[in-house]
Amino acid sequence: MKGKHRIVLETGRVKYDFTVRRNITVVQGDSATGKTTLIELLSQYGRQGARSGITLTSDVPCFVYTGGADSREWTPFFATARGGIIFVDEGFSFVHSVEFAECIKNTGDYYLLIARKPLVNLPYSIQEIYGIKTSGKYHFPYQVFHEFYPIYQQEEAFNIPQKIILLVEDGRSGYQFFSKVCDHLCEVSCESAGGNSNVYRRLLQIAGKEPVLVIADGAAFGSFVESVVSVARKRGNTGLYFPESFEWLILESGIIQSSEIEKVMKAPENYIESRNYFSWEQFFTAFLQEKTKGNEYLYYKKNHLPEFYLSETNRRKILNVLPEKLKELLNEGFTPEEATELKRRIDDVNRGNTTEHSIIEA
Amino acid sequence: MLTIYFGDMEQANYGPTWFKYNYEPEWLEDPFVQAMIEGVDKSRYIAGLVIESPVFGPIPPERLSGGVQTLIMIYEKPELVFDATSCGENCAKWLLEIGKRKDVTVNLNYLMSFDGQEPFEIMIANEHKMVTNEKDYVFTAVLYL
Repeated sequence: MKGKHRIVLETGRVKYDFTVRRNITVVQGDSATGKTTLIELLSQYGRQGARSGITLTSDVPCFVYTGGADSREWTPFFATARGGIIFVDEGFSFVHSVEFAECIKNTGDYYLLIARKPLVNLPYSIQEIYGIKTSGKYHFPYQVFHEFYPIYQQEEAFNIPQKIILLVEDGRSGYQFFSKVCDHLCEVSCESAGGNSNVYRRLLQIAGKEPVLVIADGAAFGSFVESVVSVARKRGNTGLYFPESFEWLILESGIIQSSEIEKVMKAPENYIESRNYFSWEQFFTAFLQEKTKGNEYLYYKKNHLPEFYLSETNRRKILNVLPEKLKELLNEGFTPEEATELKRRIDDVNRGNTTEHSIIEA
Repeated sequence: MLTIYFGDMEQANYGPTWFKYNYEPEWLEDPFVQAMIEGVDKSRYIAGLVIESPVFGPIPPERLSGGVQTLIMIYEKPELVFDATSCGENCAKWLLEIGKRKDVTVNLNYLMSFDGQEPFEIMIANEHKMVTNEKDYVFTAVLYL
C-alpha cells in the first residue's frame, strides 16, 4: 500500500480524525485519551458496519485484530494481506517479537499499533509516534473531538554551544560525511555511537556537561527515541536532529539533479510501496542507488561514501538541508574562491581603490 | 514505598483484565480510589457501580481507562505485581501516592516521566537503588529498557 489515508470515525459522543502516512504508526501517551475507545468503535464497525450507528470514512478498509495472543491465531491473521490498515490494541505482547516483524514485513498493509513499550524489532519513524488530544466541551452529552499529535519533533531546541561533539549512529556514510565536515571545524569533533541502540548509552558516557549534538536516522529510530530524548533532556547541553536518513539529506540537497527526485521528495508516501520497503530509510537508500547507478563516480554506497559527496561544494549543499541552527554550527566558512575574492576587495579598500559596490559587498 | 522493575517480567499481571473480572464494588467507595478516577479519567464516582464520565455520561467501572484500572489493582492488591505500562504519564503522580500509602512493586516497560514530582522515593529493583530525582531515575532506568 502507498499514500496517506485519512480516517474519520464518528458517533454522537466522539469523533476521531487522523491521517496515517506510513506502514507503521504507533499511538501512545496519557491514559484516558480514547485509545481503547478508538479500537472498540472500529471493532464494532467491523462487525455491524453502518448499522452500528458509527460512521467511518476512509479510502481503505480498516481492520481490528480481535484474536488471541497465541501465534497459531495471530500468525495467519497478519500473514494475510488485506489492502488496508490493521489496528492492534495494547496488551498483545507478540507485537514486540521478531516473528511479528517478519510476518508483517512484506504484506503491504499499514499497521496502527497502540504500544508504550518500544517496539525494538520494527523500523518505525520518530515522526509516526502519536498521542491523542481531545477537545470540545468535554461535558456529556456533547461530542468530544479526538485528534493525533506527534510526540517527537525532527529537531529538539538547544543552545548552540562553542565546542561540541557530533554523535552519529554508526560508522557508515553519514559518519564519513560528518567526519569530513568536522575536519574543517576546530570546535566540532565527530564520533560514531556504534549503532542506533547505543546512542543513549554513549550520551550517558560522555562526561559532564560536554555539549553533544546527536544526528540519527529518524525513519527507523522510533523505538529508541524515548530513551534518547529522556536522557538528552536530563543531561542538558544536548541537541537532537532526526532527519529521515542520510540518504534523504542527499536527495533533498539537489546534488543529484532529477525531476523525478524532486517529485518524489515532495510526497514520498505516494511512491513508497510498504510491501517492498519496511521503512522509508530503506526506500531512500534504494532510490538514491537507483538514481546514481551506472556512474561509478556518483554511485552511492552506504559503507563507503564516494568522494563526490565529500567535495566542498556538495558538502555545503547537503549541509544546507539542515535546520538553520545546525547550519550555523556546522558552517565551514568561506570557500577558497570566496576567501580570495574577499581578500582582493579588502586589499582594494586598503589601497584606497574603493567603489561603492566593493565597500558594500566587502 | 514504590518499587519499579524495568524490562520484561513474566509474572507481571495485566491490570485492565484483572480489574474487569476481579474488582470489588466497595473499592470504589474509597476516597483515594475516587481521587485517582477523577485525577486520571476526569470522571466522578456517583454511587454503587455508577461513574459519571464527561464523554459517555454514566458508565460502569469496566469502562474506566486501562490506566486507572491498573492503578486501582496496584493499590488494592499490593501483594501482586502489575505491569504499569498500561498507565500513561498522567498516572505517575498516583503511582507515587500509592507508594506513600503501601509497599508496592510494579513492572514498567517504558520510561514513564516523573518530572515535576520531585523529590520522590522510587526503588529501582533492577539495581536495588533508591532514586529521589528525575535525572537519577532516567539515567538508571534507561539501562534496563
